[in-house]
Amino acid sequence: MSAEKQVLFDIKGLCKSFGKVQVLDHIDAQIYKGEVVVIIGPSGSGKSTFLRSLNLLEMPTGGRILFEGKDMTDPRANINEYRQKIGMVFQHFNLFANLTILENMTLAPMKVLKKSKEEAEAEAMQLLKRVGLEEKANAYPAQLSGGQKQRIAIVRSLCMHPDVMLFDEPTSALDPEMVGEVLAVMRDLALEGMTMVIVTHEMGFAREVGSRVLFVDEGKIKEENTPAEFFDHPRHPRLVEFLSKVI
Amino acid sequence: MEDLKIRFITNFIKDDRWKYFTNGLETTYIVSFFAIVLGVVIGVLIAVVRSTADTIERPNLVIRILNWICRIYLTVIRGTPAMIQLLIMYYIIFGSVDVSKRVVAILTFGINSGAYVAEIIRSGIMSVDRGQFEAGRSLGLNYVQTMWYIVIPQAFKNVLPALGNEFITLLKETSICGYIALTDVTHGANTVRSQTYDPYLPLFGAALIYLISVSFLSALVTRMERRLRVNER
Repeated sequence: MSAEKQVLFDIKGLCKSFGKVQVLDHIDAQIYKGEVVVIIGPSGSGKSTFLRSLNLLEMPTGGRILFEGKDMTDPRANINEYRQKIGMVFQHFNLFANLTILENMTLAPMKVLKKSKEEAEAEAMQLLKRVGLEEKANAYPAQLSGGQKQRIAIVRSLCMHPDVMLFDEPTSALDPEMVGEVLAVMRDLALEGMTMVIVTHEMGFAREVGSRVLFVDEGKIKEENTPAEFFDHPRHPRLVEFLSKVI
Repeated sequence: MEDLKIRFITNFIKDDRWKYFTNGLETTYIVSFFAIVLGVVIGVLIAVVRSTADTIERPNLVIRILNWICRIYLTVIRGTPAMIQLLIMYYIIFGSVDVSKRVVAILTFGINSGAYVAEIIRSGIMSVDRGQFEAGRSLGLNYVQTMWYIVIPQAFKNVLPALGNEFITLLKETSICGYIALTDVTHGANTVRSQTYDPYLPLFGAALIYLISVSFLSALVTRMERRLRVNER
């Protein structure tokens, strides 16, 4: 099995500095197809920057990222082509405020994948139904609750049929009672075999859904393990300290 | 009262003097309308160049040169009076070319207004949450698509009141058209005044025409604002 595992992201010596501050310090990692990788770490550790590097919202200042075997950090690479295949869900949802929910979901499929309006809308409606929000199709983002917005943001990404989904603290900006509905959608996605990379503070979710957990601190991956080992037998002293604070 | 009636007839009816006002109004409207359109087109383009240069980490040479040209344009246009610009356009740039005065006026006021519109739109673009841009790019939309479908519509909505202000200023600014002997409302009124030796009615008449036009324009902007606000409900 492990020999057949297909590498989706091959990250080699990834560095990122903002001015003199080095946020990512030579990170090496692989993300395999079908995996749910959960990244945890203290704030300012670089975990969000790491995630945002994977679709080049942050341009690495060193190292390389291979996506499906191709170097996406090559200056000649067409970033837009890679981004089509890499879905991203943000902490603050970032639904397009000037467009209806349906338009939010059909814009990229129509403009990037050149789908017809009918085709894009039919598919969007199907996804909306799946998250139980089909009656919001013609609403604007401002009319939705945080949990609803985030569920829409997830299915908006799915409209592009990505090979992998990145989640940047998807539940951190939500009221506590709305966290569950978003995690439920993510759980379903994981069960369907979607490759996911998730930065989160939801330790319970990480343990339940994650296939691997990474601990990022001071711009490095300090520990990685299966969820059970990671949470029950942490080895790195920084991780032990971190877990004692958050659990 | 009888006196006022006679003066009214002298200034507006006799010898078809009302035509000075109606022809003038046509010129004022045509010049204002096309200058606004031209100004918005120039303004959006410059605003996009300027905000692109400001936001990306390492702007390439093309962007840097464009940004530099835009900044010179903004400095020159905002640093000199529209009147001088109009005279330069008419007597120097189009000095030896036979071209309609209306076209000269449209170009002058459009280019002039573009500088102000550019800065207004730029502030609008800067006011749109960066997350909107990132979400667009992360879906695979390219830079231009993201700006066009996501950022600029929101920027435009945010700055519509300021843009309305600029349009009002522009409409009134066209009153200097008379300096190139183009008959707008002001020039028409002034011509009537010189024929009838009565300053009151022609000038108050012209003032009233501007007042009504501006009221109409601001009502239009208010309606547009309300229409664009549907997504906030």
